[in-house]
Amino acid sequence: METISSRAVPTVQAEREAAIEAVGLCKSFKTPVVAQGRFSGIRSLFSREYTTKEAVRDIGFTVEKGDFVGYIGPNGAGKSTTIKMLTGILHPSSGSVRLAGIDPHRDRLRCASRLGVVFGQRSQLWWDLPVKDSYDILAHMYGVCDADKAKRLGEFAELLDLDEFWDTPVRKLSLGQRMRADIAAAMLHDPELLFLDEPTIGLDVNAKRNIRGFLKVLNEEFGKTILLTTHDMDDIEQLCRRVMVIGGGRLTYDGTVEGLRREIGLPTEIKVTYRAGYVLPRQGDDLIIAADSSFAMRIVSRTESTLTVEVNRQDVRTMDVLRELGQRGEIEDVEMREPDFEEIIRRVYG
Amino acid sequence: MNERRATDRQASLRNYIKLYLILIRTSVRSRMQYRFNFAFGTVLAAIIQLSEFLMIAIVLAKFGAVRGWTMHEVGYLFAVMTLAKTLYRTFGNEVHNLERYLVEGELDQLLTKPLPVLLSLLPRGFRIMFGEVIQGGAILAWSLGQMLHSGQISWWAIPQTIFAIVTGGVVLFAIGMATATCGFWTTRISMLQNMTEDAAQTAARYPLTLYPGWMSGLLLTAIPVGLVGYLPALYILRGELGLWVFPVLAAASCLVVLLALRFWKFGISKYQSTGS
Repeated sequence: METISSRAVPTVQAEREAAIEAVGLCKSFKTPVVAQGRFSGIRSLFSREYTTKEAVRDIGFTVEKGDFVGYIGPNGAGKSTTIKMLTGILHPSSGSVRLAGIDPHRDRLRCASRLGVVFGQRSQLWWDLPVKDSYDILAHMYGVCDADKAKRLGEFAELLDLDEFWDTPVRKLSLGQRMRADIAAAMLHDPELLFLDEPTIGLDVNAKRNIRGFLKVLNEEFGKTILLTTHDMDDIEQLCRRVMVIGGGRLTYDGTVEGLRREIGLPTEIKVTYRAGYVLPRQGDDLIIAADSSFAMRIVSRTESTLTVEVNRQDVRTMDVLRELGQRGEIEDVEMREPDFEEIIRRVYG
Repeated sequence: MNERRATDRQASLRNYIKLYLILIRTSVRSRMQYRFNFAFGTVLAAIIQLSEFLMIAIVLAKFGAVRGWTMHEVGYLFAVMTLAKTLYRTFGNEVHNLERYLVEGELDQLLTKPLPVLLSLLPRGFRIMFGEVIQGGAILAWSLGQMLHSGQISWWAIPQTIFAIVTGGVVLFAIGMATATCGFWTTRISMLQNMTEDAAQTAARYPLTLYPGWMSGLLLTAIPVGLVGYLPALYILRGELGLWVFPVLAAASCLVVLLALRFWKFGISKYQSTGS
């Protein structure tokens, strides 16, 4: 596994440069207004009326080397537009991008050779040729020598099980196989930075796990910087140290996964099973107020022997909750359920 | 330092050429996956070309000469245009198909590669057009043969004609590329292509004297299809103008292709991609 990590030693200056630096990124799309009524076709041809759609407004962030960042937001929020600006596909209307200090628009070719890009919805492989042929062509394209290619592909094959479809034309691969092949293709030239736009879209559980495992290895063992967009919250929870949320073209959150949880402030559910029933001060009340009235908890549901309450763990320590509940009867068992990440995202997406 | 940069540039140029050949081979191999389609397409193209030739043969046989141009001269114009267009469509066809990339957002992938977009784009459309080559070559051989026989032209006409076909192919490519570039703003370009490519090429298969002055002027400048067959034919077949026609053709074809490249580069920065 030596080849991937033993890239030229970065100079002191390069060390200081962030992997991704975006400043004040904006992108607006102009679409001509389609005229209505008579001769509408001809009139729209000559009309100078445009509707301007601001897809991304003033987004700025810095990603350090070795980071693993999840970029989430509802459909149409500007995720793909941002990724396309970062990778040099779209030119921003204003603002600037630097990838390891390089401007991907002014210096596209140099930037592209240090970058891996995977679009979940599209393949960069040659549709009609066997998978291995695509790797040969890409190796030529990126100037990867045969020894490096063989070595890296050997490693990828092991981690991603590429062998089973090595000679199959790309068009005959299953979605999961194609995605594995595509990610390997994006890493063939050993880029320091990897962008993935919805890499797990439409995949089954096994394929997702396989890909997540590979990304984890890339990040943790080889120190690759990875930015991915996804709608799958397991991707975020299992992989990302940092989440950025975009909504309506603006960055609405940038921080850790736990931080996002805290910010939304969803309650934790605690379910207590009593050995021999419990006593509530007043029946029909769904609030339990602590003996010293320092906090309150809401009752979500109750049965003869169990009581489920909701507390916000920022405000209350779990031990205090249990002590309080312990006064209502003899506790046999305790179950805790953290707020579901899906639930958090639903709140974020609004 | 300068020297090093020069060798670097040489190395990258060599690399680009090698890559171009690899990509062409890839494209041919991909196409061969569908052999029936390839064979059928070739046969179909030959039939279409044959019917086009029959059309023009009928016109020529019926009217013989057009505005002082003999049947052989008109046949020559037709053949040079066909061959120049074949050259363009063999190597540069993918700019003609750019609309597909714009509408489907396929250009995204090409932009993430460390290659000039044209270098990854053009080989994808490489194809060998047997039908067109045979048809154009046959008409050219026939009309040149007749004119050689009658003593209207000398053997010099052959290399001169080849030169005209090559510069003509470059001019048509430049027009195709400039037209395609408009797609970065409008996305759809097929209507524009009908005008600047198909209609213009068809018009320039006949002597430009056929058209009103403003139109032949347009076909020599704005959409310079007149440079493909008409202008060289004036000298090669009719001895008008002078030998200077050739340096002018070379310079003009270089100029239009450079202008088109400039425009293309500007257009790419306006690429809007598609949602995904």
